[in-house]
Amino acid sequence: MEEGNSIIYGLEHQTRALSPQYESDAIRFLIGTQSLKPQANQVHVVELEEDTGALHTKVYKHDIGEIWHLRCSPHDAATLMTTHNSYDPENSQCSMGVSIYKLPTLDVIPKDVDELSTMQSQNAEDMELLTTINPEKPEEEIRCSEWHPTDTNCVCIVMDGSVSVRDITTTQGYNITPEGRTRLKFSGGKWSPQAAHQFAVLQDTHIKCFDTRADCKAVWGIDNAHRQLARDLDFNPNRQFQLATAGDDAALNIWDYRNPKEPIFSRTDHSHWVWTVRYNTYHEQLLVTGSSDGRALLTAAASICDTDDDKKLSQVLEDGVLQSYEQHEDSVYCVEWSTAEPWTFASLSYDARLVLSRVPRHFKYKILL
Amino acid sequence: MSEPEKQNNENPLDIDGSSFNSEMYLECLMKCASLRQVMDKEAEVITQSQSLQSEMQTLVYENYNKFISATETVRKMRSDFQIMQEEMNKLSENINKITTFSSNISESLKDSGNNVNRLCSTRQLLDKLQFLFLLPTQLNKAIQEGRYTDAVHDYTHAQKVLQKYGDQPSFQSIQTECSDIIYGLKKSLRERLLSPETTASELAESVGLLRQLQESDSSLKDIFLSCAESRLEQHLNLLASMVDTSDILEWVEKCNGLILADLGIVISCYHDIFQDSERIGIPEFADKVMTQVFDLFEAVIRRPENVGTDILIRGLDKFFRKFQALSEIICSDGASNKALFVVTQCIKHKATMQHQIIQVQFKENLMKVRQSLASKGTENADLKDILNALQVYLMQKIQASLLDLMAFLQNNLSFGLKPWCANAVADGCWIVVSETLINISDMIKKLSVIQTSNNIPFELLLILAKLCLEMQENGVTILQNHLTKLLEEAAPGLSVEKKDANTVMVNLSTAAQSALDSEVVFIGQTAAQMLRVSVLARDWLRAPEPRGPRAVCRRVVETLASADSAASQLFPTSFKPSSDSSRRTIWSRAPSSFSPINRLFSERIEVFSPAGADRAALSNGALKVALKALVECVRLRTFSRHGLQQLQVDVHFLQQRLSCMGNDERLLNALLEDALSSAQLRCVDPQLMEPSIVDIICERG
Repeated sequence: MEEGNSIIYGLEHQTRALSPQYESDAIRFLIGTQSLKPQANQVHVVELEEDTGALHTKVYKHDIGEIWHLRCSPHDAATLMTTHNSYDPENSQCSMGVSIYKLPTLDVIPKDVDELSTMQSQNAEDMELLTTINPEKPEEEIRCSEWHPTDTNCVCIVMDGSVSVRDITTTQGYNITPEGRTRLKFSGGKWSPQAAHQFAVLQDTHIKCFDTRADCKAVWGIDNAHRQLARDLDFNPNRQFQLATAGDDAALNIWDYRNPKEPIFSRTDHSHWVWTVRYNTYHEQLLVTGSSDGRALLTAAASICDTDDDKKLSQVLEDGVLQSYEQHEDSVYCVEWSTAEPWTFASLSYDARLVLSRVPRHFKYKILL
Repeated sequence: MSEPEKQNNENPLDIDGSSFNSEMYLECLMKCASLRQVMDKEAEVITQSQSLQSEMQTLVYENYNKFISATETVRKMRSDFQIMQEEMNKLSENINKITTFSSNISESLKDSGNNVNRLCSTRQLLDKLQFLFLLPTQLNKAIQEGRYTDAVHDYTHAQKVLQKYGDQPSFQSIQTECSDIIYGLKKSLRERLLSPETTASELAESVGLLRQLQESDSSLKDIFLSCAESRLEQHLNLLASMVDTSDILEWVEKCNGLILADLGIVISCYHDIFQDSERIGIPEFADKVMTQVFDLFEAVIRRPENVGTDILIRGLDKFFRKFQALSEIICSDGASNKALFVVTQCIKHKATMQHQIIQVQFKENLMKVRQSLASKGTENADLKDILNALQVYLMQKIQASLLDLMAFLQNNLSFGLKPWCANAVADGCWIVVSETLINISDMIKKLSVIQTSNNIPFELLLILAKLCLEMQENGVTILQNHLTKLLEEAAPGLSVEKKDANTVMVNLSTAAQSALDSEVVFIGQTAAQMLRVSVLARDWLRAPEPRGPRAVCRRVVETLASADSAASQLFPTSFKPSSDSSRRTIWSRAPSSFSPINRLFSERIEVFSPAGADRAALSNGALKVALKALVECVRLRTFSRHGLQQLQVDVHFLQQRLSCMGNDERLLNALLEDALSSAQLRCVDPQLMEPSIVDIICERG
C-alpha cells in the first residue's frame, strides 16, 4: 500500500460499525453490517497483508439483527461484542441488545490452496454466541457498549436514558441514572483508560464522567463541549486528562478536562457533522476524524503534545490537517487506527465502503526522525 | 700667451714695437734687401721721422697753452673764497646770540606752569572726595527710593578708591558706613529673592545686582534657580488644581500668564546674568518644568469637558504660540519638538475620541435596531430602510468628524498651515476612518460568532453583512475622496500620501463573510434542529397512514422562506429559478440504486461552506444545512411502511415549497432524494405511495 493509494473494500449492506482487533499482530478490522432484512447481517473480518498489500476477508453470520456498534475485546482477540437491533413484525417493534461472540478462528489468510477453496465455497461461517444482554425495557434504545479496559468481564452499555454496567458472565449489573438533565439523551460513551472506573458519556452537547462504583454524581464534566450535539470522544492514550471530542458543529476539540471552559485545541476543518475521532495509539499528535461530509481527515495536534525534550514536535509538524482522504462517497461514521501498525487506519462509510489508508510517508519521517 | 705670439710681439724687427732693435733691423735690412731697397727705405725713414718731429712740436705747444689758462683760473678762485669765509663767520655769531635769548625766556616761564598743573589735580581730587563724602547719603537715598540699581552702580564706583585709601581714618569711616549700607542692601535683596510676592523680573534684577556686589556665582545661581523653581512649583500646583475646575481656555490663559511668562523671564535673565558661565543648568530645569506643564496640558485635553473642537483648538493655539515664543528664548530643540508633539498628540487624541464616540453611538443604534427587529416581528420590517439609515448615519458621523478635525488646519492658527500639522491631521482623519470601520468589523465578527446564548436576529446579521459589503465597495472610497477633498481645501498644495485601505477592506469583507456565514448557519441550524427533533422523537414504526405533510415541515418552510425574503430585500438576485421545473416530483429510486455508482455522478455537497453574498446562495446554504441534517437523522431511525410514506409526503412537500428558494435545484433534489432513499433503506417494508396520491395529499394538506 503506497502513499496516497488507499485500499478499498466494498460490502453489500450499509455499515456503521467498525473495530480494530486488539491483541493481534495483524492489521485486522471487523465490520458489522446494517440491514433490516432478516438473516442478512454479517460480520466481516478484514486483514491487510502488509508485505503484498493484499486484502483478505472472512465473513461470519450475524443473524440476531443489524449491527449498530461493534467492539472487539481488548483482552481476547477472538471475542467481540455487537450492539444490535432487530425488527419483530409480530408486534411491529424493534428491540435492541448487546451480544458477545467468539470467533472460531483468528486466521483470515488462507494457508494453502485447499483452504482457499474451502473458504471460497463456504459463504459465511458461524460464530459462537457467548451471551446476550437485553435492556430491562424492551423498547429502550442502546447506543453502544464498551469493554472495561482491565476487567475482562465488565462492560458498560450506554442507553438512551441511562448507563448500565454489566458482568458478562452473569449478565447482571446496575444502572447509573444521571441526576439532573435527564431529558437529554445519551449518545455514546467511553471508559477512561487512566482512571479505570470512570466512564465518560456524551449527553447532548455535554461530556459527563461518572465513577461507576459510586453514585450518579459526575466526577468531572465538560459543559457545552460543542455548540451542537457531541458525537464522539476519545481519550489521549498517553497523556492523562486529555481527550478529543467531535460534534455536529463540525469541530474537533481537544480538552484538558481539568479546565472545561476552553478547549486546548480546536479545528473546524470538516464541512459537516464529525461522527468520530480517534487518537493514534502510538503518536498522540495524530488524530483521524470521520464526518458526514464524506471525508476522513488526518489532523496533527503537535503544539499540545510538546514534551520538555530538546526535540520539539511542533517544530517539525505544523498543526492542522495533514491529509484529507476523499475516497468515500457517503458519510463516514467510523474511523479506527490499526492496533498492530501505527501508520495505518481504516475508515468506513455508510455506503459500505471500507478504506484502508496510511499516514503519508513524509509526515511519518517527520515524526520519527 | 703662447711663445710664438710673444716672440711676435717682441719682434725686434717691428719698427713700431717697443723692443725694436735698430742694429738688428739694420743688419737684417742689409742682408736681405738690395741697395735700391735700402735707398728707398732710407728715404722713407727720413720722411717719417721728419713728420713725427713736427707733430711733437704742435702737441707741446697746445699743452702749454692749457696750462697757462688753468693757472689763471686758480688765481681767480682764491680771491672769491676769502669773501665767503667772512660772511659765514658773521652768521654763526648771530645764531649763538639767538640761543642764549631763548634759554633765558624758558627759564623765566617754568615756575608759573608748575603752579597751574598742581591746581588742576587738586581740583579732581576734591571732586572725588566730595563724591565719597556724599556717598553714604546718596546710597541711603537711592535705597529708600528703591533705586537699587543706582545705589549699586555708585557703590561699585567708589569701592576702588575706598579700598586704596582705606587706611586713612577719614575714609575708613566712610567705607564702613558704606559697607553697612550695602550689607543692608544685600540683605534686603536676598529677602526680596526669597519672598513669594516678588515677580520674576524683580527676582532677576535682584540677582543681577547681587552679582554686581560680588556675591559668589555658584551660590547665587543656586539661589536663583531654587527660588525660580519654588515659584514655578507654586504655579504648577495652582495649575494642577485648576485642571479639574476650569475649562481649557481659562487654564491656558492662566498657564501662559503664570508659568510660561515667568519661565521666559527666568531663563532670559539667567542667560544675561550668567552669560559666561556654563549653561547646563537651565535647559534641564526648563525641560523639567515644561514636561510638567505638558503633562498637565494633556490632562486638560483629556478632560471630557474639553472635547469641543473649537474651544480645544483655541486653547491649543494659545498654548502653542506661547510655547513657540518660549522655545526661541530657550534655544532648546527639545522644547519646540515637544510643542509639536503636543499638537500632534492633541490631534491624535481628538481622532481617537471621535472614532470611539462613533463606535459607541453606532453600537447604541444597533441595539435600537435589534430591539425594533425583535419587537416588530420579521414580516413587516423594511430591512433596506434600516440598512440605509445605519449606513447614512455611519457615513455622516465619519464625515462630520473629518470636518471637525479640519478645524486644526485653520489659517489663523499658529500651527495651522504647517506641513507637519497637516500630516498629523491627515493621519488623524485616516485613523477615524480606518479605526471606525475596523472596530465595527470586529464588533460584527464578534456578534457573528455563534453562541447558544446570544440571540441576534438573523435580519440584523444580513443587514450588517450588507453594510460591510457596501462600505467595502463604495463607502471607503467615498470617505477617502471626501478626505482628500477636505485636505485640499484646508491645506492647498499640500501633498499627503494616500493611505492604504487594504486592511480596512480585508476587515470589512471578512466581517461581512462571517456575518453571512453566521446567518446561513443560524437559519440552517434552526430548520435542522426542527427536523432533527421531529425525526428523532417520532415513532416511525407505529406511524399512521399519512394525511398530509407534518406540521414541522410547514414550520421549516416558513423559517427558510422568511430568511429568504429577508435576504431578497438586501441581496436581490437577477436570476430567478424557472418555475416550470419546480413541480417535478422525486420519483424515488429503488433501494438498489443507492450505490456509489450513482454518487459518482453527483458533486460532493459541502454543507458548512462559506456563504455567497447573494440571495440564492444564502438560501442554498441554509437549505443544505437543514436537509443534510434530515438525511443524517433519517438514517438513525427505523420506519414502517406508513412511516416511510409519511416521509415521502414530507419530502415531496418540502421539494414543492423549497424549490422557489435558492437557485440550485439539483442540490435540493439530491438532498431530498438522499433523505427518501435513506428512509427506504431503513424501512422494514419499503413500499412507496403512488406519486399521484402524494400530490393530492400535499395539495390537501
